Parts: sequence; structure tokens; C-alpha cells
Amino acid sequence: MAPIAYARFPFLSLLLLCCIGGLLAILFTPAARTRQIKWISAVFSGLSLVLSAGLFIAYDQSAGGLQFVEKVAWVPSLGIHWFNAADGFNLPMLLLTGIVFFTGVLTMWELETRVKEFFALIFLLVAGVFGLFMSLDLFFIFVWYDVSLFPMYLLIAVWGSTRKEYGAMKLTLYLLAGSALILPAILYLAVQAGLDTFDITALMQPGTFTPYQEKFAFLLLYLGFGILAGVWPFHTWSPVGHVAAPTGVSMIHAGVLMKIGAFGILRVGIFLCPTGWQHWAPLMALLATVGIVYGALVGLRQTDLKYVIGYSSVSHMGIVGLGLATVTAEGLNGAVFQMFAHGVMTALFFSAVGYIYDRTHTKAVAELGGLSRSMPRAASFFIVAALTGIGVPCLASFWAELMVFIAAFKVYPFYGTLAVGALVISALFILRVVQQTCYGPVNQRLAHLPDITPLGSIPRVILVSVIVFFGFFPALMVNLIQTATVAFFNGLP
Amino acid sequence: MNWTLFSPELFFLVAAMVFLVVSMTGRPDPERDYLTAVVLAAIGLGICLACVPLRGDLFQGAYRVDLFSQTFKALLAMGFFLIVCVCNDLAGIAEDHHPEFYLLLTVSTLALMLLVSCVHLLPLYVALELSSYSLYVLVYLRVDLRQGIRAGLTYFLIGAAASAVMIFGLALLYGAAQSAYLADLMTVLPGLLHQPMVAIGLLLTLAGFFFKLAVFPFHFWAPDVYQGAAHQAAATIATVSKVAAIAVLMRLTALTGGAGTFLTDALVALAIVSMTVGNLTAIVQQDFKRLMAYSSIAQAGYVLIGILSMTPAGYGGAIFYALALLVMKFTCFLVLIVAAGGGRNMAIADLAGLHRRSPILALALMMAVFSLAGIPPTIGFTGKFLVFKAAIAQGHVNLVLIAMVNVVISLYFYLLVVRAAYLTEPQDALPPLAVPPLTRGLAFFLVALTVLAGLYPTPLIVWADAAARGLM
Repeated sequence: MAPIAYARFPFLSLLLLCCIGGLLAILFTPAARTRQIKWISAVFSGLSLVLSAGLFIAYDQSAGGLQFVEKVAWVPSLGIHWFNAADGFNLPMLLLTGIVFFTGVLTMWELETRVKEFFALIFLLVAGVFGLFMSLDLFFIFVWYDVSLFPMYLLIAVWGSTRKEYGAMKLTLYLLAGSALILPAILYLAVQAGLDTFDITALMQPGTFTPYQEKFAFLLLYLGFGILAGVWPFHTWSPVGHVAAPTGVSMIHAGVLMKIGAFGILRVGIFLCPTGWQHWAPLMALLATVGIVYGALVGLRQTDLKYVIGYSSVSHMGIVGLGLATVTAEGLNGAVFQMFAHGVMTALFFSAVGYIYDRTHTKAVAELGGLSRSMPRAASFFIVAALTGIGVPCLASFWAELMVFIAAFKVYPFYGTLAVGALVISALFILRVVQQTCYGPVNQRLAHLPDITPLGSIPRVILVSVIVFFGFFPALMVNLIQTATVAFFNGLP
Repeated sequence: MNWTLFSPELFFLVAAMVFLVVSMTGRPDPERDYLTAVVLAAIGLGICLACVPLRGDLFQGAYRVDLFSQTFKALLAMGFFLIVCVCNDLAGIAEDHHPEFYLLLTVSTLALMLLVSCVHLLPLYVALELSSYSLYVLVYLRVDLRQGIRAGLTYFLIGAAASAVMIFGLALLYGAAQSAYLADLMTVLPGLLHQPMVAIGLLLTLAGFFFKLAVFPFHFWAPDVYQGAAHQAAATIATVSKVAAIAVLMRLTALTGGAGTFLTDALVALAIVSMTVGNLTAIVQQDFKRLMAYSSIAQAGYVLIGILSMTPAGYGGAIFYALALLVMKFTCFLVLIVAAGGGRNMAIADLAGLHRRSPILALALMMAVFSLAGIPPTIGFTGKFLVFKAAIAQGHVNLVLIAMVNVVISLYFYLLVVRAAYLTEPQDALPPLAVPPLTRGLAFFLVALTVLAGLYPTPLIVWADAAARGLM
């Protein structure tokens, strides 16, 4: 491992402070001043976007390793540290969180009910997400994991639609069931290592655990984090939750929160238990492929626009899982890139669909039609998202999926073929949905509805530009991720 | 003899005398009683905190003053203070009985303080009975006699049975070890544990405290007593008396020397059954206090996980958990007392609209139930984290997995409480709740403590570990 470069200034903590500061600022603003609350949210989330983008750019790729490191003893008797650092794995995730957070806040600009509570909960949620991505201490990873989950219950149950209480309860219980597997696994690893520490860099040294311990812990971690990553057959909370959630929450949830699951498998499971990872990789590949195929097939039958996206998320997160299951550097690169690309894409998807739903009050594909004429801007954002989802070249997802599939073909030719086949099916169903909603005769009942205002387009334009930018310059992202994967594989025994 | 060592107990004795005198004046004046109680409780808390560093032995070595006992005395005094603070709306007790209420509350707290310091079986039993009898009467005092008598009788009958069982156990232990000093037992017992008489004696002795902690199978009283007693009395039983029971359970289990014995297996079984029974039964509860009762049966299971590790880390975790329980459960009762109003019982559905009627109370309730469920960053999570870690260090991975499944089950009914407070609206619009300034301040303090002890528990953990080391 490269020598640790301690930060001269705690930028990562500052990033967290943006969320906590925003949260406190919102809490101390009277609930009636909704405008002020929205501006506070926009400013603080904008700051966190700028900071995360700054870190992304400032990371020194030639040096590699952990940078911007902050390490302070937190509970010395238990070996818990406030230990944050940036590397090639979490920088894309931090950037993704910044982007989706800011655009999500802007998307919810028109919210009228219980504004203060909504934005306070969003800030709490995102603080958990940022914290989890930057932390290298098992204790804090678990704490942030739960911090990012429990606001979801209220966010969906209060501001959601379509069976919102059912969706919220199901989602919360599923995800907390995941944490019920993660906590014992974390404690088991920390205790078995006998090092009196929760520091991942110390625990990941080769020879810390026996193969049996790694296999046992990895299975718990994979299933626990996998529930959040939407791994089949534990994905059923995800479409229901996405559909029930309000737009901004769906964006953050599908865009960022599901990535926490995949990232947790990577950061905790794969980092600490590489032997367990290799042992269970065939199972991971199987479940991931089933997820890809199943998501595509079920998506084909959906008539509700949000369900279509929900199942396409299951399918796309399956690609991440397949990348992780290849146990190769290419696969990991592709998986991390796919996490980023899918996050931005799905945020755009929900943002466009959310707008359409808020105006038309229907998400049924059959009731829409001719949107490209009645709401040209909304329709075009929707189409861009759809094309990204299909994997059209020169958009970010294309490169990510390509990398995963190349790796998968080498290791699991059969699964790779199935997955590509499923992707064709999903292209089919997404194009069908696009055709039915955006083209064809205009539904006259919806013809008078206003299009997205230029101001309201800002968040969507940001998302589109990110997709296109990394579609044209994938090397910027891949080279960064590469610094971490290469170092990681070199560190393996 | 150094009487300063005994000052917390002496002070509470004086406080009890004050209320005895007040009760004999015969002129009901709730305001006067409340203010007296708050002032006395605050002074008592101050004295207990100031006495934390004291060390020494009293009464021919039957009474030990060490960091462990003093920590628990501070916890008990804190619980007493908190409960007295929410006695401004003591509508569950007839006005002319208020002085007696405070008298019994003080005496029971005093008895529990004696309990955590006793290191001889006989005074241990006497202190336990003193606290129990004051609590029995506290339960009876409910202004609605029908409820009070039913609850009081349940509590008394099961309590008396548990206490009879316990004194039988004490006799067996004394017979086997030929000494009633815990220090002697500690040297003799580990070698005698294989004898049936000792094994049975120890389990029966523990049973008395399982009753207090509402561990399965001694939990049957809890729902009826919580529901039937006045809110403040129920809060005392739910917080202060449980804290003391945890302390004594630790003292007694430490006698076995911490070896992996049959006792561990028995405790594992009790912990699993308590958690599961408590959580599953809580799901169907409609009444808020019954829910709290079943939840506390489950919480007792989690505490046992720390105790059954029988290591300093486990005991430290259990001490931390005792503080967590005190904070979380008291917060729930505080919300109950204000939201129900007039000392009436409250269904969970009656929480509807709480987020508008009093945002701070809704927030406090949400944090308290999330903390009870063990969601970070709350004090309840840190407590669970500590006891689970200690258990896994002793190889109880399966036990922790079962406990985590229970956490998920419990989350369901805790979320129903949050749902009632944040999502549902009452049928007729209710006015905002009038929250007295002291209660409001307490709510802020409790929320802050819940979150801070979840985020930065280090000083508390260091303290708890230091206290636990004195046990072994």
C-alpha cells in the first residue's frame, strides 16, 4: 500500500460538515419560512457538490493510495477511529452523491408540505451516505449505513404516493434486516482479528483471518449489503420503495443509496475477506445474472413508468454485482464505474418521470403519449435517460457496462451471454416505453400541461452533462478507479 | 467509621423524613410537594455525583463503596431526579396522597442505592424487600382504584413469590459456601459450581432479580403493572428499579468467576426467550404502556447478553446499557405523561398529530424509540454495540445473530409508534400541547444526550469499563 498521506486540512470532514451544518441551519429556521429553507438547502448541497468535485479533481492519481486522510482516535478502548480517506473507489461515489444531492434538492424546489422536515431528513440521509463512502472504520461504516436508512421511512411514508406506508415499512424492514447481518459480521471480524481495532487498513493485511472466518463473514456481509444493493432475490423492496417515494427521494435512493450496498460489499466484504470473496464469487455471479435477466423480463411487463425504472435498476445493479463477481481488476473497474453511471442515469430518470407524474398525475404508460410534443423538455430528459440505460455509446453507462461484460465473458462466458441477452431485452422494453409515452398521438387531456421551466431544467441539465461528459471522457473516471484496483490486487497475497 | 461514605444514603433518608413530615401535615398542596421534591432530588443528584470518587467498606465489610456502586447510585439519583421532574402533572395520584407518593419514591430509591452497595447476602435481601414493598404501594396509589388494586396485587403476588424463591436460593448458597459475604463466595463458588445445590441456589437467587428486570419467565407482571400504575410509578419501575437489578445481577454472576458454565447456557436461553417473547408480543399491543412493558422485557434480554459474557467488557457494556435504558425509557414516559394528560392511559393511536402538537416531544419520542430499537447514532445503539461485541468475543455469534433478528422485529412496532406520531392526524383537530418549560428543557437534554452518547460515547465507555473492572 502507498504511504498514507495525511490531509493538511480535513476536507472530507468539511464535506460532512456541509450536511450537518445544513441540517442544523434548517432545524433552526422557522418552519413557515419555506423559501429560506429551500435556499439554505440549495446552498449547502451546492457546497457539498463543489467540494466533492474539487476532491475528485485534486486527487493525485500518480501517487495513488489513500489521500486526504484524517485519522483521530475516537473510542481508544475499543480501537474505533474517526478515519476518513479518499481513494479511487470512493471518489466517484462522493462525486455521485454530491451531484445527486444537489440536483435532488433542486428537483424538490416546488415542495409545499412540511418543507422543513423534508429537507432536514434529506440532509441527515445524505450525511450518512457521504460518511459511509469516506469512512475506513468499520464502526463508522455501520453507523453511517443506518443513519442513511432510517430517514427513508418518514421520507417515503409522509411525502410519498402509491401505497406509501406499505412501501416505506417494507423498505425499512428489509434494509434493517441487512444491517442485522452486517453488525454481527463486523463484530466477528473485529474480534477474530484480535487487533483491538476497527480500522479497515489494519484489518485488511493478508493473514489476519483464516479462510473459514473470511468465508463466514463474507457471506453475511454480502447478503447484508446485498439487500441494499438490490441483489436478487432480496430486491423486492426496491421497486415498491422507488414507486412510493417522492421524486427527490427516489433520485437519492436509487441513485446513491443502492450504491451504498454495492460499495459496502466492496469496501468491507471484498477488502477484508478476499478469500471469502473468491469462494463465493460463483454465487454472486449467479445471483447477479438472475437479477439482470429477471429485472429485464419483469420490466417488460410493467405498465407503471416508475416500476419500469425500478426494475431496470434491479437489472443495472445486477451488472454491478456481476462486475464484482468476476474477481478481476477489469470487473472491479467496470463495477465502480457502473455504480457511478447508473447513479446519475437513474437520478435523471426519476427526475424526468417525477416531473411528468407531478403534472399528469399518472404514471401509467398507456395513459401518456405524445409527450415529446406536449412537454418537449421533460420528454427529452426522459429519452436521454432511457438511451443511457440502454447503453448507447458515448454515454457514461456504455463504457461501464462494456468493461463489466468484457470481464464477465472471460470468467463466466455463459452468464455474460445471458446478461447481454437480457440487456437487449431491456433495451426493447425501454424503447417501447419511450415510444408509447413520448411519441404517438398526444393525449388531449394532458396537452395543456406546462413543460419544465428553464429554471427547473437546471438539475436535469447538470445530470445530462455529467452523463455525456463521462461518455466522451471515460478515461478520467477509469484511470482514477484503476489506481485503487491495481493497488488492491497488488496487496492480495 | 467514615460517615461521608454513606452520605448519598443519608441524604435520601433525610429526604424521606421530610416527606414523612409533610405527609402528616394533612393539607394537600401539590405545588409545594412538587417544588420540595425537585429541589431535594436535585441536591441528591449533586451529592451522588460528588460521591462517585469515594472508596471504602462499611458495616464490617457488608457494605462496599466503590466506583461500581457509586456509578449506579448516580444513575439511580439521576433517574429519581428525572421522574420527580415530570411529577408536575401527577394526576394519576390523588392530591392528598402526593406526599406519600414522594415518600415511597424516595424510600424505594434509597433502598435501591443500598442494594447496589451490599456485598453480604442478608442486607442484600433486606434492601431488595425494602425497595419492593415501597414499589408495591406506589402501584396501589393510582387514583383509579380499580386499576391500581389489580396492578398492585399482580405485582405484589408475583414479587412475593419471586422473593420467596430467592431467599431459598440464598439459603442454599449460604449452606454450600458457609459464608454470606460475596467476597468469600467469590473464592469458594467457582470450585463448587458443579454441585446441584450451588447451581440451583445461584439460579434461584438470580430469579429474584430476573423478576425485577422482567426477564422471562418472571415477566408476567410487567404489562399489567405498567398499565395499572400511575405513569410516574410505572416510569420508576421501568427505569430506576431495572437499573438496580442490572447492577445486582452483575455482582451475583461475577461470583462464578466468569467461566463458561451451565449458568452461561441458562442465561443465553433466558436472553433469547425474553427478547423473542417481548418483541413478538409487543407487535400486537395497542396501549402505549403495555407496549413499553413488552419492549422492556425484550430489552432485559439484550442486557442479559452483556451480563452473560461475564467479562469486564460485557459488564462495562451492561453498565452503559443501564444508562441507555434509563434515558430511552424515561423519554418515552415523559412523552406519555405530557401527551396523555390528566394521568390517563393512552393508546398508541392517540399519539396522532403529535408532530404538530409538539414537535420537540415528537422528536424526543422518535429518537427514544429508534434508540430502543438500536439504530445509530443513538445511545441505545452504542449500548447494543458494546454488549454484542462482548458476547461475540466470548464466541456467542449465533446469539448475536438471533438478537439482531429481534432488532428487526422490534423495529416494526417502534416504527408504528413513529408512524402514529408523525403520519396520522387526529380525527378532530387537537390544540398544541402545553409543555412546561422544565419538561421542554428535559426533552431537549434527553435528545441531545441520546444523540451525543451515540456519536461520541468515549467518556461514558471509559467510565463504565472502569466501574466494571471493580467487579471481577
